[in-house]
Amino acid sequence: MAIEDEELLAEFIVESNEHLADIENELLAIEEAGASIDVDLVNKVFRGVHSIKGAAGFLGLTTIKELAHSLENVLNKVRSQELVPDAENTTVMLRAGDTLRVLINDATNSNGTDVSDQIADLSRVLEAAEAGGNTAQSAAAPTPSAAEVEAPTPEPIAPQAAEATPPPAPVPAEVVSRPAQAPTAAEPATTKTSSSPAVESSIRVSVGVLDQLMNLAGELVLSRNQLMQAVISQERMGLEAAAADLDQVTSSLQEAIMQTRMQPIGSVFGKFPRIVRDLSSQLGKQCKIEIEGKDVEVDKTIIEAIGDPLTHLIRNSVDHGVESPEVRASRKKNPEGTVWLRAFHQAGKVCIEIQDDGAGIDPAKLKSKAVDRGLITADRIEQMSDREAVRLIFHPGFSTAEKVSDVSGRGVGMDVVRTNIEKLGGSVDVDSDVGVGTNIRVTLPLTLAIIPSMILKCSGDRFALPQANIAELVRLRPGEVSSRIDRVKDAEVLRLRGALLPLVRLDTALGMAPTDRADINSPMNIIVVETGQVRYGLIVDGIHDSEEIVVKPLGMHLKTSNCLAGATILGNGRVALILDAAGIAAESGVQLAHEANEQEESLNQGNETNSVQTLLLFSSDPADRFAVPMGVIARIERVRCDQIDTVGGQELLQYRGTTLPLVAVDAHLKVNPRPKLDRIYVIVFTLGEREVGLVAPQLEDICEIVCAIDDQTFREPGVAGSMVIDERVTRLLDVFELAEVTHPQWFAEAREEHAPEEGDAPKRILLAEDSSFFRRQVAGFFKNEGFETYEYEDGAEAWQALTTGGVEVDIVVSDIEMPNMDGFELCQNIRHNSALQHLPCVALTSLSSEADINHGKEVGFDDYQVKMHRENLIRSVRSLLAAAGEPKKAKPRRKLVQAGS
Amino acid sequence: MTTETSSATFVDSRSLRLATFYVGDMLLGLEIDQVQEINRCLDVTTVPHAPNWVRGVINLRGDVVTVIDLRTVLGLERGTVTKDSRNLIVNLSGELVGLCVDRIADIITVAKDDVIPPPSNISVVDQKFFSGVATIEQDIVAVLNLNEALETSN
Repeated sequence: MAIEDEELLAEFIVESNEHLADIENELLAIEEAGASIDVDLVNKVFRGVHSIKGAAGFLGLTTIKELAHSLENVLNKVRSQELVPDAENTTVMLRAGDTLRVLINDATNSNGTDVSDQIADLSRVLEAAEAGGNTAQSAAAPTPSAAEVEAPTPEPIAPQAAEATPPPAPVPAEVVSRPAQAPTAAEPATTKTSSSPAVESSIRVSVGVLDQLMNLAGELVLSRNQLMQAVISQERMGLEAAAADLDQVTSSLQEAIMQTRMQPIGSVFGKFPRIVRDLSSQLGKQCKIEIEGKDVEVDKTIIEAIGDPLTHLIRNSVDHGVESPEVRASRKKNPEGTVWLRAFHQAGKVCIEIQDDGAGIDPAKLKSKAVDRGLITADRIEQMSDREAVRLIFHPGFSTAEKVSDVSGRGVGMDVVRTNIEKLGGSVDVDSDVGVGTNIRVTLPLTLAIIPSMILKCSGDRFALPQANIAELVRLRPGEVSSRIDRVKDAEVLRLRGALLPLVRLDTALGMAPTDRADINSPMNIIVVETGQVRYGLIVDGIHDSEEIVVKPLGMHLKTSNCLAGATILGNGRVALILDAAGIAAESGVQLAHEANEQEESLNQGNETNSVQTLLLFSSDPADRFAVPMGVIARIERVRCDQIDTVGGQELLQYRGTTLPLVAVDAHLKVNPRPKLDRIYVIVFTLGEREVGLVAPQLEDICEIVCAIDDQTFREPGVAGSMVIDERVTRLLDVFELAEVTHPQWFAEAREEHAPEEGDAPKRILLAEDSSFFRRQVAGFFKNEGFETYEYEDGAEAWQALTTGGVEVDIVVSDIEMPNMDGFELCQNIRHNSALQHLPCVALTSLSSEADINHGKEVGFDDYQVKMHRENLIRSVRSLLAAAGEPKKAKPRRKLVQAGS
Repeated sequence: MTTETSSATFVDSRSLRLATFYVGDMLLGLEIDQVQEINRCLDVTTVPHAPNWVRGVINLRGDVVTVIDLRTVLGLERGTVTKDSRNLIVNLSGELVGLCVDRIADIITVAKDDVIPPPSNISVVDQKFFSGVATIEQDIVAVLNLNEALETSN
């Protein structure tokens, strides 16, 4: 063996892989171009193969050299337009490319491999080209696409295997840090961003980012020096300054380092055109893939992990989704199916959508299959909406293809995909229309390395729980424990707003010594955890703070526990373990059945809650109690009073590096001044782009009341009405009105923006709401904003007015729960009436549950809003009106905006 | 693949340098190249559901390192951490692992020829933990076979 220099070889491998990385897509592009050859593109491939040949010859890798040589010869014919690329010869070239890659990654043993078949194939192509030499151009008459249909590759496609098991990359990591001194005509600039998936152990970083890192490292050293000096001189001011510096440098450094890990997602997407091409020809289908968002950057760890799940989803789309050309033709569709693969950023996450225009998923079929297989009871199925039914494909043991094919679907598919994606902290959802197509949406975090988490305590140890899993925190006072917690057989359940939530004691789940529960007088902390599959309450001993934690893997001796997802190091230097919410559920036997159970309950409960308001009660002075609807609250913070400054009569809270303007009831309403306390609560709500805090000196409770609201006695700006709860008069606040009283300028801006143009008639809103209190409230909101409203007491009245009463409106806003005709029915009627179906419809609710929203979407509501959330409601109405005003495009399904709760 | 040449110690190829320590009454030795550092046993975080021979995890300058209780591995009762207890940080096929031992002894050099196979009166189960036994002045040192002893399957 002539290989003497291992480093040279390693470099050859890295470089050749770079040449080969794009070869697939380039060959496909060449094939597609057919007779009209893009000489530049062919040249590029040619040069790459040529470089490989040259370097291989130099290194004595004769097999690689020979194969590269044969491939080069064929490409040369293509270049000189003596050979027209078609499906058949492209397949031969692609296979040669695959073999080259396998050989190169195992270069030391490559000389022993027999590739004579491949070379023979290539020379056959070459001979054919030479034989038909002059006629080739005229022989190109059959269009390439036709050739593709008539000539599906005769043999089962071999490269599939190579695709499925990517060869290991025996490339030592240090190799790549050397500058690539290419003995070839490589173009480093163009290959910079396309890191080859085969060489995962290295990463290319732009010099700019490196310089920035170097700068920051310098800054870090400076900060350290300052810190050391401050410590030695024991100077408090200096210490604080140094700490602040260090804080800033650390954050910038963290950001810059994360930047180096970000890679364009295109490196994963690159292989899909080939997969779709091979698969569709194998299955006798016509299918193309359209890729958007190749440049979206995500963390390297995610890039590495999503390849397999995405491949599975793409294969599914081609295999199960897209119909055969005959079927498509009979359904008046383009015989060629399309799979769209899109990546984009949304709300700090990455979304990947895989959409096809195939047959779609038939919910009825899924339902019957689920019952047949005993996965779900017949009762449950009946209640299931179509959308829920389509989600059954993620159930273990489900395959939608009627016939199991080689390609995908042995009933072990989608559930594995879902599990893998959830392991990455992501989620997957599916939406399908029979006959139109299927859309699968994968949502992933940008990075796995740093995750916001809640630190909690159990049996004396601290644990971290990712915040993505946390739905809410519940604290039971000692007196409440016995009334709120029940036992069903052996399991504990919590009554939470009318539903039953299974409970898991963390110490038991982890097999740790239970904390002394004799002390019944201590409050109980419950974290409501959601994992996508299950929802349960986790009982812990204490809840600390939220922290951004850096995930560290656990050693090989500790891989056995399902309950742990890793470890992290806390501020005090100790290790804390990261809990795996799904694992704990599995370990403790919280089953999917509970989910079903709970959903049913929430459905049943949904019927009641619409007339029920969930309110947060707080008091300022013992005599003054207030209530705020839960729906308008973004979150609640507990702050020290010394964090509050008063500037020009305006109270401001210093908080998370910014200031939060505060409104207080005692400053603007007729109440006693608030008592002096060390710590108070601040209820945060959003007002357009702004966040505003409402001072709530003492929180009391969350309660559900059936509205019997008196909107006369205490009415003043900011107070919507009053009611008696637990024998105490409680005033219901309208936080938006309160904010308007204190900060009229915020609203003035918004109004100006939306001021109707001269001569425009005011927009007309139909409002259906049975509670007179809310009807007046909501109508008031609209009138303030310059809309004209028509109010009705129930769906039936509204429907009558629309159909026979001659009332014309621009938008419908309706409560859900109403006598005679409810909101769902009203909306359904509107959607089925040809004259009215274009009307935008907004549902109003007290507190929206997922099930309600889904049902709402099915019957045709465009949006769901919380009754008392004036801001969101008005914004939603405006945007729907604006959308309706635009000329109708072929609009995609309207996205349902979840109420801002 | 041991990198004898890279070690800074000038020991000829016929001798072994051993870091020795006590687990119970037993004097054990590990080739010095395998030991990265020796720490006190402080701040161990226990790990639920871990095998009983795992004491927990520690923060070793930003790495989370598993600490193994060597007493339990060798079939003794789990001891308590005393002021003499130490953590030997060893490199086990690329991963750092802490070995909790009762007491640290000397670093000794023995001739390779003086390391003999473990005597046959050690039970078969225990035999696999040791790659040999070396005699020094008054004592004998059992040389630990790290990979066998910490085989994840035991």
